[in-house]
Amino acid sequence: MSRFDLREVCVRREGHLIIDRVTATIAPGRCTALVGPSGAGKTTLLRLFNRLDDPSTGTVLLDGAPLDTLDVLALRRRVGLVGQRPVLVSASVREELRVGAPHLTDDEALGLLKRVGLPAEFHERPTEGLSGGEGQRVCLARTLAVGPEVLLLDEPTSALDPEAAAAVEDTLCALLSGGLTAILVSHSAAQVQRMADDALVLRKGQLVESGPVAGVRYVNGGG
Amino acid sequence: MSSPAVPEWTGVALSVSLVGLAVLIAWRQRLGLAREIVIAGVRAGVQLFLVGAVLLFLFKHAGLPGGFAWLAVMVVIAGQVAGRRGKGLRHSRYVATAAVAIAAAVTMGVLMAFGVIQTTPRVVVPVGGMVVSGSMAATGVTLSRMVAEVRGQRAAIEARLSLGLSAAAAFAPHRRELLRTALIPTLDSTKVVGLISLPGAMTGLILAGVSPEVAIRYQIVVMYMLLAAAVMAALAAAELGQRMLFTAAQQLR
Repeated sequence: MSRFDLREVCVRREGHLIIDRVTATIAPGRCTALVGPSGAGKTTLLRLFNRLDDPSTGTVLLDGAPLDTLDVLALRRRVGLVGQRPVLVSASVREELRVGAPHLTDDEALGLLKRVGLPAEFHERPTEGLSGGEGQRVCLARTLAVGPEVLLLDEPTSALDPEAAAAVEDTLCALLSGGLTAILVSHSAAQVQRMADDALVLRKGQLVESGPVAGVRYVNGGG
Repeated sequence: MSSPAVPEWTGVALSVSLVGLAVLIAWRQRLGLAREIVIAGVRAGVQLFLVGAVLLFLFKHAGLPGGFAWLAVMVVIAGQVAGRRGKGLRHSRYVATAAVAIAAAVTMGVLMAFGVIQTTPRVVVPVGGMVVSGSMAATGVTLSRMVAEVRGQRAAIEARLSLGLSAAAAFAPHRRELLRTALIPTLDSTKVVGLISLPGAMTGLILAGVSPEVAIRYQIVVMYMLLAAAVMAALAAAELGQRMLFTAAQQLR
């Protein structure tokens, strides 16, 4: 399933309202984009879905259950996150793929590398010296190793050069076509059109527009 | 006349000429430090004079409870000083005070329980002072490294949390690293003791006319106890500090 519901969600930080009473639904099996100008609260909202942060008021529900009633570690294994920049925490790709999945077999690891478009030889490579695009693919494989039902993608290609960005985006599109639920933060309307099914438009922390991408003005040049 | 190695008050007064020399050099070299040297010299003299008076009172009149009370005061002061190094960490002063207290209680407890040191104020206060001071240094470095590590490695810690690792597991590599950093100075000084420097306790005993063989025995105990105290203080500070870094929902604050 993996349907998220946001109910009257507010996030306050040091007296400032970053997210202002957002109520929305993230449909299962679809890619929903969070879009809007810089500082609109997109990343803040994204961090609520795997409880890296909690809302100040309001509730986030996963399949009808408030997130704070679920085991947080199990939740984070169900809801994987890929950040803006590749943050590699191990010395080798072999170890990196096993950070969240210590019992991953070599066959499974090679299968993951293939899914993210990296040749098998990368399994034995050190993480130092990987290019931005390669690092981001390893991060994606590391997240997939845990077996998430939902992928949170926080501007996953914005730190890459155009060629690497296009290649990583193709890989993501192929993964999402498999029916994975995804929430994508992106500042690129073109990327949202290519990758997302639905869009939620945020402005100054408020939800100002939502619906299937084709009908959302912000994404189609009317924002 | 007391032991020939111990200076009379006239000797102490004459040693002020050394501060004068330092001031003169600082003034001639235009270092802008002359005033600070005078203040530091006066402060050190007054502090030591007062501490001497307090110790004299403690040893003569307050007995063992007074000695322990003085030790408790030292722990609180050390906690405040070390806690400042962890600025940015929630409740850093409480964490530091608790870490120093744990290290001091365990180290002194073991030394007294095994009869390694005498349970008298004359011994408990100075030995306890060394333990508290060593624990304070290790605690301060641990907390300052912890704050720096979280500031610099936030993304890595959150990447591990996002993979479903517990807060303790997500922070473990950073904790190892900061503990190593915090303990390296203590380990290094333990390794070279006697070779590069004659440590304070030993120097003091030899100056006071005690035979080097006795002085060495004391120094060995002191070094071992300082090593244990530093390790325990750093571990306690890391453990308690780590709890302040994360919420109950395993979120990095």
